[in-house]
Amino acid sequence: MKLTPKEQIIEKNFKLGAITKDGFMGDDVRHVHDIIQHDAMTLEKLGISSGELAARMQFFIDLGKEAIENIVDWNEYTIQVIWSRGMLPCPFGEPRLHHKIFIELRNNKLNKSIRYTQLNVHLIREHGFFEGKGSPFRLEPEELVEVLSLDQ
Amino acid sequence: MITKILIATLSMAGISGLLAIILVIAERYLANYGECKITINNQKDLIVKGGSTLLSTLNSQKIFLPSACGGRGTCAYCKCKVIDGVGPLLPTEEPLLNKQEIENQIRLACQVKVKQDMLIEIPEELFNIKEFETRVTLIQDLTHDIKLVRLQLIEPYEIFFKAGQYVQLITAPYAGVKESVSRAYSVASASHEHDHVDLMIRLVPEGICTTWVHNYLNENERVKIIGPMGDFYLRDGEGEIIMVAGGSGMAPIVSLLEKISKEDIERKVTYFFGAVRKKDLFYIDEMRNLENEIGNFTFIPALSAPEPEDNWDGETGLITEPLDRYLSRSDNATSQAYLCGSPGMINACINVFVKHGITRDRIFNDPFA
Repeated sequence: MKLTPKEQIIEKNFKLGAITKDGFMGDDVRHVHDIIQHDAMTLEKLGISSGELAARMQFFIDLGKEAIENIVDWNEYTIQVIWSRGMLPCPFGEPRLHHKIFIELRNNKLNKSIRYTQLNVHLIREHGFFEGKGSPFRLEPEELVEVLSLDQ
Repeated sequence: MITKILIATLSMAGISGLLAIILVIAERYLANYGECKITINNQKDLIVKGGSTLLSTLNSQKIFLPSACGGRGTCAYCKCKVIDGVGPLLPTEEPLLNKQEIENQIRLACQVKVKQDMLIEIPEELFNIKEFETRVTLIQDLTHDIKLVRLQLIEPYEIFFKAGQYVQLITAPYAGVKESVSRAYSVASASHEHDHVDLMIRLVPEGICTTWVHNYLNENERVKIIGPMGDFYLRDGEGEIIMVAGGSGMAPIVSLLEKISKEDIERKVTYFFGAVRKKDLFYIDEMRNLENEIGNFTFIPALSAPEPEDNWDGETGLITEPLDRYLSRSDNATSQAYLCGSPGMINACINVFVKHGITRDRIFNDPFA
């Protein structure tokens, strides 16, 4: 399939070493649109919008940022945010930059942890993209909804 | 009916194929910009092959504009004035330029492409930025996630920089990463030592460059750096110098302290170093030695969450807390603040400095953000 120049840039951005070390696709061979569509159907079944999910994810980042890399205990959660220098562009090519913020979030009640970045929040909010299977920062919608306690 | 569908499908396929051929031809002939002339400061002409970004084109001519992000359009350090020979402002540039810069024809060299003759202006001091071939002579663990990397210069064999400045480290391809990238790191060594540079590099989760340094780079390997760059350096003044840095942010602070020691600068100096636990502290002996060498220097490490086994009896709390306590009992009228570290820490500390009367023009930081 012939890609437009913009699509070529976007496809390159998803590959390993372009924006992040391991790229965004992992070993997922599906087209990015198929990944987005599949995860959107999962969210629909769960009754959660990508906007709600992203807002909850951002809430924990903001909570952890205040502590300057220290561990924060909040209700049943333990949070640590690492904010490194530098910015990352969105692989979809829009002119907005994202801080290199990394969060480890543990739900002590469920004994489950997830990790994500500020860019993950943007990708879910704006593009409904949870990354390809096998990508280090792939987020499974069901697990995300569960750990963030959005299923209650 | 089936025939009609078949004809429609074939027609669409034919049109798509034709458009694809036109695109390929257009790329081949219309995107070939041939030789272009770049005139710099009305003094120097470069004849270059068109088609690449201004930043990479200048790099190929050994003229290096500052860049902390390696040309990804995120740091905005490669700003330069393009007087002629460029198209309208790009959407990728807009968020990184203010109204005044846009009026003054400032552009991001990493985004602008050379497609015709150009007239540009860049500061004269940037001609001092060079590419250096170096050899790794030391890789040392400072903490569980910070390494000290010493690079011995081979060609050119000397570097002249201001304490506090940074260099760009260029990676080699590794594992599945096929292309080199460059990232900015502050120089930790003394500016009077010209034959090597020391860098302190913290592992960023899944970071392209830091993973290479921590997991793939070995002693005796050759690497390239570009520098020196940056405007984080010691300013003239009479008042106290208050430094705040945590983690690998200590790098430029060490270099500044070495300068203060070497030049016998007789100003009061206080350095707040924030860490979580005792295992995150490093360079303690070096700091104590500098306390002996610099007449009026105090090093204040602070732990925000010391473990019981740390037996810590020093300052505690987020770094903003001891800083706030200190500033509330000191005369800050002429003090200067120098910060380096994570953007979160810098933002929080700037608020504390401003609260205690140290105005923004006396606060210096190099966040690479």
